[in-house]
Amino acid sequence: MTTAVQVSKRSRRPWTPSQIVLTLLGVAVSAVFVAPIAAALFTSLKSEAEAAEIPPHWLPRTWTTQAWRALWSTGNIGNWFINSLVVSVLVTAIVLTVAALAGYGFARTEFRGKGALMGVVMSGLMISPAVLGVPLFTTVQQMGMVDTYWGMILPQCAPAAMVYILYKFFQGVPRELEEAAFIDGAGRWRVFFTIVLPLSRPSLAAVGIFTFIASWNNFLWPYMVTNNPDLMTMPNGIATVMNSYGIQWAQLMAGGLMAGLPLIVVFVFFQRQIVAGVAHTGLAGQ
Amino acid sequence: MREPLTGKRFLFTVPFEVTGKIRYTEQIGQGMGRPDLNRRHVLGGLGGLLVAGSLGFAALGTGADALAATGRTRVRYWNLFSGGDGSNMIAMLDAFRKEHPDIAVKDSTLQWGSPFYTKLAMAAAGNRAPELGVMHMGRVAGFSPGRLLDPWDVDLLAKYGVRESDYNPALWQRGVIDGKLYALPLDIHVQLCFYRKDVLKKAGLLGDDGRMIPVTSTTEWFDVLKKAKQAQKKGLQTIGLWTNDQNFQWWFFVAFYTQLGGQWFNDARTEVLFDTDKATQVLEFFRQHVTDGYVIPGAPTGEQFINGAPFTWEGNWSVPVFSAAKLDYGATPLPPVFGRQATHAESHSFVLPHQSGRGGATNEAAHELAAYVVRHALQWAAGGHIPAYTPTLSTAAYKKLQPQNEYVSAMDHQATEPKVWFAGSTGILAQDLGPLVVSSTMGSAKPASVAQRMRNQLVKLLASKNPMDGKTAAQGGAVA
Amino acid sequence: MTTNAETFVVSPRVRAATATATVRRKQGFQHGGWFIAPFMLLFVLFVIWPLLRGVYLSFTDANISGEGARFIGLDNYREALHDPMMWDALGHSAYFTLLVVPCITVLAFLLAMLAHNIERGKWLWRLCFFAPFLLPSTVAGNMWQWLFTQGIGLFNETLGIQTPWLTDKSYAMLAIVIETLWWTVGFSFLLYLAALQGIPAHLYEAAKLDGANAWHRMVHITLPMLRNITGLVIALQVLASLQLFDQAVVMFDFGTGPENSTRPFVQYTLEQGFTSYRVGYASAMSVIFFVIIAVVALARMWLLRNREESAR
Repeated sequence: MTTAVQVSKRSRRPWTPSQIVLTLLGVAVSAVFVAPIAAALFTSLKSEAEAAEIPPHWLPRTWTTQAWRALWSTGNIGNWFINSLVVSVLVTAIVLTVAALAGYGFARTEFRGKGALMGVVMSGLMISPAVLGVPLFTTVQQMGMVDTYWGMILPQCAPAAMVYILYKFFQGVPRELEEAAFIDGAGRWRVFFTIVLPLSRPSLAAVGIFTFIASWNNFLWPYMVTNNPDLMTMPNGIATVMNSYGIQWAQLMAGGLMAGLPLIVVFVFFQRQIVAGVAHTGLAGQ
Repeated sequence: MREPLTGKRFLFTVPFEVTGKIRYTEQIGQGMGRPDLNRRHVLGGLGGLLVAGSLGFAALGTGADALAATGRTRVRYWNLFSGGDGSNMIAMLDAFRKEHPDIAVKDSTLQWGSPFYTKLAMAAAGNRAPELGVMHMGRVAGFSPGRLLDPWDVDLLAKYGVRESDYNPALWQRGVIDGKLYALPLDIHVQLCFYRKDVLKKAGLLGDDGRMIPVTSTTEWFDVLKKAKQAQKKGLQTIGLWTNDQNFQWWFFVAFYTQLGGQWFNDARTEVLFDTDKATQVLEFFRQHVTDGYVIPGAPTGEQFINGAPFTWEGNWSVPVFSAAKLDYGATPLPPVFGRQATHAESHSFVLPHQSGRGGATNEAAHELAAYVVRHALQWAAGGHIPAYTPTLSTAAYKKLQPQNEYVSAMDHQATEPKVWFAGSTGILAQDLGPLVVSSTMGSAKPASVAQRMRNQLVKLLASKNPMDGKTAAQGGAVA
Repeated sequence: MTTNAETFVVSPRVRAATATATVRRKQGFQHGGWFIAPFMLLFVLFVIWPLLRGVYLSFTDANISGEGARFIGLDNYREALHDPMMWDALGHSAYFTLLVVPCITVLAFLLAMLAHNIERGKWLWRLCFFAPFLLPSTVAGNMWQWLFTQGIGLFNETLGIQTPWLTDKSYAMLAIVIETLWWTVGFSFLLYLAALQGIPAHLYEAAKLDGANAWHRMVHITLPMLRNITGLVIALQVLASLQLFDQAVVMFDFGTGPENSTRPFVQYTLEQGFTSYRVGYASAMSVIFFVIIAVVALARMWLLRNREESAR
């Protein structure tokens, strides 16, 4: 609570005219940015007939939760939610593990062909399911992983960008720390787990947060690799299954908010961490 | 940053360095100096649980199929029905399961559209196909019958109560290729002219039977629209035509081109018989709705109709939507403005995806299941589809269904795409020609030039090879 | 500390210990192959192998079933270069990129300046500008499809206009651009904000002492200090925009936009592969696309290096 008090004390600065203008401008621009989400929320609280009314209006005349209830009773939205969670959690866990190991390996160990391998990995920055969609699909198909969780998860688990970010971070860790531990007789793995990893928690958090957001919101790859509605993730299910019914705007908006709100709520609580994480991963690409 | 760099604040300003590098001393500050270790441990524990739970789930997700295996005869059945159609189908399957406890039906619902066909093709090619599948009939010719599909055993079907004589002959023939039945029709679904009885009554366009007065020429049709427009609510369009939707525009085109008696190819599939004059006539007809102001291009058709627009042309699958909105409405086949009845129709049908060892009890169970669903399709009609099994149509229960009983005649004058490998629901033909029709209706190209471009495209398609077997339509022999 | 005392006495034991320490220290950094092995396994399976496979498939007439592919040399590439639909699709992706990148860069900068200079409620501005980015692409696409729909959409209603956003080919791409701006500007905004906060305050103070006004401070301090980040924002946006897919297909119900006016390159590739079953042809287009992306990425690296060298 002390920090909160501090913050409010600090912001007790006089309202200069320029601050008033800027703040008003900020409020106006924010309203524009929030408006579509607010509109979706209001529409999800209308009846389907009211949601399709011509001309439209912002606030529901009769407030009803029918769309939200219908969403739960008819759709597979519960399934999709769990699928999204399973996929994003596993992708995040795997990416953190393999990218941290690889980043450290490239930054701090020597082996033959390291430079060449690093170059190959960097070329991976240019490859995505959007670029290589069809061949990637036939590969996964050959492995018999179409319409499985692993088919959705594993191809998202080799992000060269995350390796590069952690690689740059590990390069910045002073060698002396590790050397001291080696002298004490610690093995390479122990040094990695007990010294290097604890130091890199913020970087790992950044990579983890970014990976989770990206995976939760990923549409293209899950769309390509799953046909079974029971296996779909939220973005995919909403775009493909819910869209095929038309004229159910209230339900569609409710479903969209279901998919989007968890991250927004998390954002409100962990804003600093997420902002730092996104900015960090982005900036590291410089 | 203006705030003093203390505590947590400091921590998260770290990544805000322009260099993007994190100075390591600051990291130590954060790694070691944080007081709330307990919360971190709790979070860590929760994270671990989440990962473990997800792992368990992922393992299950791939293994669910194996768990379902039992000693009973197992029929795997892939369909593309979700939503209202999906729950109707599941109800029919449940009824079947109750009557046949010895047969285990494992149904999988896949997303409609290209991905469904892709997956079915891959499964059949890789010999991992299910016993039974669903397909649009227009797609059958392009699906390498004989290679990716196995033919039906007509005697076995007869044993379970389904015979050719129970069908409209033209419909049955659509499923026959090289003399063998590859697709067993379940329904036909058609494009309809929906109308609001409340508006038409005001406009004096309802007959004594409470249905829309018949229309037999374009002049009469536009006359009807004119009267309806005077009676309707202002600010709405008069008719919904899906002017900017390539699928609907294509379906409507097929309907009216067929009304004019237009042809596509010769029987040998060596020559394009597409008549650009007739096509131009159809395209000009569509365009006139826009130029005369009966359509608001791009306005959502269903919503407009529910709000009071007098007409809309839609697929019969809109029946449950409009019924749920409690509208007083009717639905007829697309008006025969060129003198002859014809409305675009497509059918869902059952197919047997290719299995190298097809036969025995599972194959027979697949026949039994398909025959059962075909014969008990009354429930299916609630989704607006017309059951293909004609004995259903003469039941009292079907005759009572509104407005289904008004458009059931569409069965007898179907307008369908030509039987070639590149045709079919969301197939290449529709994908290539649909946007051309739209460009004419929307006014960005002249009808006559669009008709010529359609013809050119047909010539190109006829010469192109089916990627599945490397044969052109003429070589394919996919002709009844 | 006992070790402290011992080091003063240069005993043989200690000398031996330092020798082993050097060895150990060296060994510690040897044989790192195992660290990168798990990643390399995934990388080879899901990046390298598909790439090589794509190149191979592009020389065949493979279909989706994986059977009976024949080697046909450069036919696919020859066909692609003469395929007007491919050029259209490529044009749409490029046009989208040309429209979106400058808009996003300028808007992100302005938003960051705004958020940076308001003293109160920083968290609120950050939340508002960034929240759309947290929505899945399909959700954002659905929302705007609905906002843009004629008659029932609130966009036209609120502005009091009648623009046929989704149904007229002259507006369709613009609709995608507006949606994309709203949805993704938050990311670039955060990068700019971070960069702004990283500019040392003493630079501004010194400039103030020299009598520079706000405009001069922006032109002579802020903008030069943001050069690197601007390069990064542009590069990331160009690469992301060229890969346009999600918004475009969702806003147009998986169609191709009014009269094929918005179908992006990625969608056309997937259609060739999954609708027309032409895996070979689709692979050839993937390879072409990869080359385009690589050229863009390499061009950026080359520019960066040039700039660094000239800075020296």
